[in-house]
Amino acid sequence: MSVPAASLPRKAAVSGALGGGLKRVLGPDHRLGYLFITPIVLLVLSLVAYPFTYAIYLSMTHKLVGLPPIFVGFENYIRLTWDGFFQRAVVNSFIFTFGSVGFKLVLGVIMALVLTSRIRWRSFWTGVLLIPWVAPTVVSALNFLWIFDGSLGVLNYLLVRVLRILPQGVGWLSEPGTAMASVVAVNIWRGFPFFGISFLAGMKAIPAELYEAAAVDGATALQRFRHVTLPGIRNIMIIVVLLSTIWTFNDFQIVYILTKGGPGGTTMVMPVLTYETAFGAQRLGEAIAVALYLLPALAVTIIVLARYMRKARTR
Amino acid sequence: MDSRLSNLAEQLAAGLMARREFLRKAAVITGGTAAGLDVLRTMAHAQSGPKLRVWLFKSYVTAGNDILAKQVENWAAERKVQVEFDWATFGDREQKFVAAIEAGNPPDIAEMNYQGPMRYRPALRDVTALAKDIAGARGGLLPYADRVVQLNGQYFAVARLAFGGGLHVRKDLIEEKGLKMPKVYDPDVVEVAKKTQDPSKELWGFGQTLNRSDDARGFLQNLLWDYGGSVWDKDGKPALATSNLKANTAAMQFAVDTIQKHKIQPPGVMGWTDLHNNEAFMAGKLVMTNNGASLYYAMGAKKNPLYDKTQVILTPGGPAGSFFFAGAYNWGLFKASKHAELCDDLVRWVEDEKRFEEYMSACSGQAGPVYKKRAEHPYWKTNPNYEGMKENIVRSVWPGYPGPITPAAVEVEAQYILADMGGRIVTGGLSIDAALKEAHKRVEDIHRIRSRG
Repeated sequence: MSVPAASLPRKAAVSGALGGGLKRVLGPDHRLGYLFITPIVLLVLSLVAYPFTYAIYLSMTHKLVGLPPIFVGFENYIRLTWDGFFQRAVVNSFIFTFGSVGFKLVLGVIMALVLTSRIRWRSFWTGVLLIPWVAPTVVSALNFLWIFDGSLGVLNYLLVRVLRILPQGVGWLSEPGTAMASVVAVNIWRGFPFFGISFLAGMKAIPAELYEAAAVDGATALQRFRHVTLPGIRNIMIIVVLLSTIWTFNDFQIVYILTKGGPGGTTMVMPVLTYETAFGAQRLGEAIAVALYLLPALAVTIIVLARYMRKARTR
Repeated sequence: MDSRLSNLAEQLAAGLMARREFLRKAAVITGGTAAGLDVLRTMAHAQSGPKLRVWLFKSYVTAGNDILAKQVENWAAERKVQVEFDWATFGDREQKFVAAIEAGNPPDIAEMNYQGPMRYRPALRDVTALAKDIAGARGGLLPYADRVVQLNGQYFAVARLAFGGGLHVRKDLIEEKGLKMPKVYDPDVVEVAKKTQDPSKELWGFGQTLNRSDDARGFLQNLLWDYGGSVWDKDGKPALATSNLKANTAAMQFAVDTIQKHKIQPPGVMGWTDLHNNEAFMAGKLVMTNNGASLYYAMGAKKNPLYDKTQVILTPGGPAGSFFFAGAYNWGLFKASKHAELCDDLVRWVEDEKRFEEYMSACSGQAGPVYKKRAEHPYWKTNPNYEGMKENIVRSVWPGYPGPITPAAVEVEAQYILADMGGRIVTGGLSIDAALKEAHKRVEDIHRIRSRG
């Protein structure tokens, strides 16, 4: 016979309520429930919670390779706040991320629209457009390193020798403007197929009747896109933008291979700065502080977008 | 699956055995097998001798890498030691050291670059006796190499070699124009470059990036010294934008002028990494470039037609003289090793003069001397280009010069502070004065942080 929870001390009441709840759901095997969730709880604690907490601790230390960490509180964060190189890396990271994601969004929508229209060899084109996404980033970046090379690169060769558009080659990776544009371009090239394929899946799920009804009501193609297609893929758009923002913000390979953050720090983004601080300067505490510095801002962005998405779904 | 376990499983499935009985018997079988395997493994270890983890550096001079690996293997066979090799490259060396040291699992012995002894000192064994013994038998260490491997009289590594290098010059083009080999950057290099280059044919006089790279770091460091400046003063205090400001400004002005005023560098040079000047030189697009011996080696190995048309000369100088830093590679012996004596023995084995000679002869000038007697080896006279490389090394100074070498001086090198400064001027539009002050602040930060320990 069960004892009423109200008659137990508070602690026992809570555990009793939890146990009771689990017992109600799982029946006589409720003890097995604990057994089953223990591994995943341990896994999350050991592989996520512990490293994350330890990282926060290390970011508040002066930690050099081979020496024990010395706790310095928020010194690393304060120092970074006033560090010109760090400030430029923050600005560059936002330019790189939002520049890339914006273009990927537009190109992704165009790709999806083209692939939903009646074109010949649609499957073939879908496969071709997916190549940048499936190719290993390192391979793509190394290819672009060669393409952008100022004196031996194929891009300058085409522009100067073949098409004769320019009198002299451009230092694509050596000028501040073109270097940032080049790394953004490679990120766009690599990332837009993910947008396109995701939007394509979303568009295919929109009932054809909606388009027919809109057409009957005299809606133009643009109006059908605005009032049927866009609302139909809105949730997918939010998820894709959210994911891509996180991935692009943390993208290391493209920038590191193409410019290593140069020239003169003009393409230095947060992941590369983290890497350079950890392995170049070998200041591990400060490197983790660099990595964690913008975590709250990213977390807020994710929470806001996730809430917006949930609200939209409720409506 | 073990046949005994299969039988048990079948009996369980047929209802001939209780679950508890199955678990008990299965535990006995698996536990017994595991224990047996462990005993066998221990016996195998006991028979095959101790195991040594050796990290070597994979340089671009592959013939040298092969010889060194073979020498280590021969030593292992002779001493009945198992050797587990791993290779570090320019791209992953520091990452591997950091990860291994932080994980408490460094190799027993590793080939390190000049930054190793200062940076990984806490994990390295004091090898003063061994280092002095080896150096003593070879006429003593050259001054720059001595400073790289020791701090306050304590040796943290055993010096091995220095990467030779110098100004690689297209002697055919110089001779064609009736010019002399340059001795100073300004005006010699500028004039030779202007008179030999032909931008319409994409041939540029000088190829020397100021972008984040080892090439830029080395070039700018040498240039500051050439003009009488330095990052540091004689006491080892930051002096980039203080007592050395005037000389450093003149040096940086020259570096920037090669791109912006004299226009002797190819477009895109500020986007170059360490490999770009090698590729451009080998493709016949440069008249002059500073580089390590690996460029000369690669041209020979690939039978590049420019190999015979290339002369490697002393790195040019400036108003205060001609300076150079040759990074001394060395053996780091880690405290965590349980085989200290074997590590010492291995170092003595590979540093044996006959074996080093075999290695040096395959390295096309890259295995430069760190010991006085090795600098006198006849090998260096077998090719005029080798002699240029060797002379560069013999006169080498050290990071931190004119002050002492310190962990902070090494970190300024490792963080590409000077290369970043060059980039900020050329591509960031900063004035030389502002860039020097910005870099000086970074150097002060490093000095403050590294002074803590």
